[in-house]
Amino acid sequence: MLSRILALADTGAGAESESATSSATTVERTWDVIVWNDPVTPMDVVVVILRRIFGYSTGRCTQLMLRVHHEGRAVVWTGRRQRAEQYCVRLQVAGLRCTIEQAT
Amino acid sequence: MARLFVRRRGGGIEVRLNAAGRAFVAAVAQRVAAAERGDDPGWGPLLASPIEPAGVEDPLVTLGRQRDVATNAELVGLTVGDDELTDAEAWAWLSTLQLALRALADENAITDDDALASSASPIVDQVHTLQLMLFALASCL
Repeated sequence: MLSRILALADTGAGAESESATSSATTVERTWDVIVWNDPVTPMDVVVVILRRIFGYSTGRCTQLMLRVHHEGRAVVWTGRRQRAEQYCVRLQVAGLRCTIEQAT
Repeated sequence: MARLFVRRRGGGIEVRLNAAGRAFVAAVAQRVAAAERGDDPGWGPLLASPIEPAGVEDPLVTLGRQRDVATNAELVGLTVGDDELTDAEAWAWLSTLQLALRALADENAITDDDALASSASPIVDQVHTLQLMLFALASCL
C-alpha cells in the first residue's frame, strides 16, 4: 500500500494539482467585515457582541467600538469570503449594522 | 438605580424586572418574531439588511439569518417569566432587544442624538428603556 502511495506521489499529476490550488489561493481576494455606527446602540453592547463573536480581548473590542463611534465604521475581521459572510450574519443577528466588502 | 440583571455566583443571570418590564420585553420579542415572519411591515425590511450592499445575497444566508433571529426572539418569549437566565438565554435577550432598538430607531428616522431628542415622548421612552436593559445585560455577559 505504501509503495503505491509513493508511486502516486511521484506522478506529475499531483504536482500540477497542487500548483493549480496554489494559483487559485493566490488570486482569491480577501473580504472585510465592517461594523457601522448607529446612533442608539450602547457602546458596551458593541464591545460585548464583538467579544462574544470573535473572542477578542475587551481592550481590542473597545478600540474597535471607538473606531466605529468616531469614524462611522470599522473593519472588525478580514479573511475568506465564506467566513466573512458567516461573521456578518452573526453580527446582524446580534443586532449590529454590518456588511462585507472586498478588502483593498 | 436598581440593577435589572445580576450575575449570580452559580453562573446564572438573575432577572429583576417587574411585571411591566417583563411585559415590555415580551412585546418586543413578539414584534421581532413577527417581523421575521413578514407579519410586521414596519420592522420587517429593517431587520433584513443586505450583507453585501453591492451584490446579490445568497438565499440560504438570508434564511439562516431569519431562522437565527426568530429562534432568539422565541427563546425570549419562552423565558420572559423566568427568574434566572442561562448565558445562552441572556444572549438571546441581548440580541433581540438590540435588534428591536435598531429597528425602532430606523423606523422613526433617529439618525443622531438631535433626532432622538426631537422624537415623540413614547418613542424616546422606548429607546431609553431598551438602552437601559441592554446596558444592564451587557454588564453581565
